[in-house]
Amino acid sequence: MGLFFAEKASAQDWTSIKETFRNIRSVKAEFLQERYLQILTKPLISEGKLFFYTPDSLRWEYLNPLRSVMLQKGSTIQIYNFSEGVWKPEMPQAVEARRMVLAEISQWFQGRFDESKAFKHFYSPGPPARVTMVAGEGINRFIQRIEIILSVKPGVIDRVEIEEPGGSRTSIEFRNVEINPSFSSEVFEKP
Amino acid sequence: MIRSKGLDICLLGFLVLSVGCVSPPKKTLVPGSPDDLPGCYAIFPRESWESVYRIEATLRGGGSSSLLGVTKGEPSERRLQSLLLTPEGFILFDAELSEGGIAVRKVVVPFDSPAFARGLMEDVSLLFLPPQAKPIAWGKETDGTMICNWEDRDDSHTEIMGSMDRGWRILRRDKEGKVIKKVVLNGPFVNGLASRVELRAFKPAPYRLVMTLVQPSP
Repeated sequence: MGLFFAEKASAQDWTSIKETFRNIRSVKAEFLQERYLQILTKPLISEGKLFFYTPDSLRWEYLNPLRSVMLQKGSTIQIYNFSEGVWKPEMPQAVEARRMVLAEISQWFQGRFDESKAFKHFYSPGPPARVTMVAGEGINRFIQRIEIILSVKPGVIDRVEIEEPGGSRTSIEFRNVEINPSFSSEVFEKP
Repeated sequence: MIRSKGLDICLLGFLVLSVGCVSPPKKTLVPGSPDDLPGCYAIFPRESWESVYRIEATLRGGGSSSLLGVTKGEPSERRLQSLLLTPEGFILFDAELSEGGIAVRKVVVPFDSPAFARGLMEDVSLLFLPPQAKPIAWGKETDGTMICNWEDRDDSHTEIMGSMDRGWRILRRDKEGKVIKKVVLNGPFVNGLASRVELRAFKPAPYRLVMTLVQPSP
């Protein structure tokens, strides 16, 4: 699906952003997720951390309120939940359901917003610069649009906003983002 | 969409434990003092409420699944809305129970069978709504433990026993008196909600849920 620009003049900005993302090999960050549901007066707050290594290794870990980790290394995906003092593997059906989620997240950290098969993309130079991803037919029953707000620091995503039909939404704020840090590949293999 | 019949009859499709049926003996009660009757409703929230529970389900063969359960209750209207979410916040199931029945708002495979929706909303109702009729018998023991017994239209029974200090137990019995569901609620109780809940179902499909209160509000 193609990339759509909010303004013609922003084309050069987009090219330089893509170039910056091309230099990213790895990312390490913490995140704060706020889940706004229509039936809850207060958002459901989760905290976690992530590790990414290009092109398709990702560790997306929640520390609370549920301790859970999604691990992707190539086409292998594992999910573990920490329960009764040990890590327990998630049901295979639940693992498959997350495959698309992990693929989308991996593309964000590489700036490959234009490679999503499920979303149409629009770029706005801002400030703050943002990429708006509008869901195509089918997936729009679950997600309407995703806003990726870019930091002034090259290659860093500040925040992601996910809007659903019916008014529910999720905000993920990234903190302490490190670009191209070194870490063991074991983080993508073991909970 | 291919789905096995087994998924249709199992709560959560896969929440199956190898546990046997146990049937604690029924206590013989007579209608108690009217002053004690409010005690039969002590574990059910009276005002509008909402909650987030961490749900850990143990599976047949040792597998497990962890989900978030979000529920909002309007006791005066006997209305409950329940959502099941993955840890990352993806909604797997969203339904409302009211006098008009169950309305499913959003659902994904394998949670899309009517049997699953019915089973889940029955469990939520058992935990958060008192039976509609007045108890047929109730009493308060010398140590303060309340015991209450409701009879349903189909001759099934719901028994509640316990106290806010020591926790509560809910038993659902079929018309033959066998326990089909057992719930243990432990405090501290926050805005009327138990901090820890364990639900075991024995019939028709066995499963076990352990629920921990994450966020009570308002």
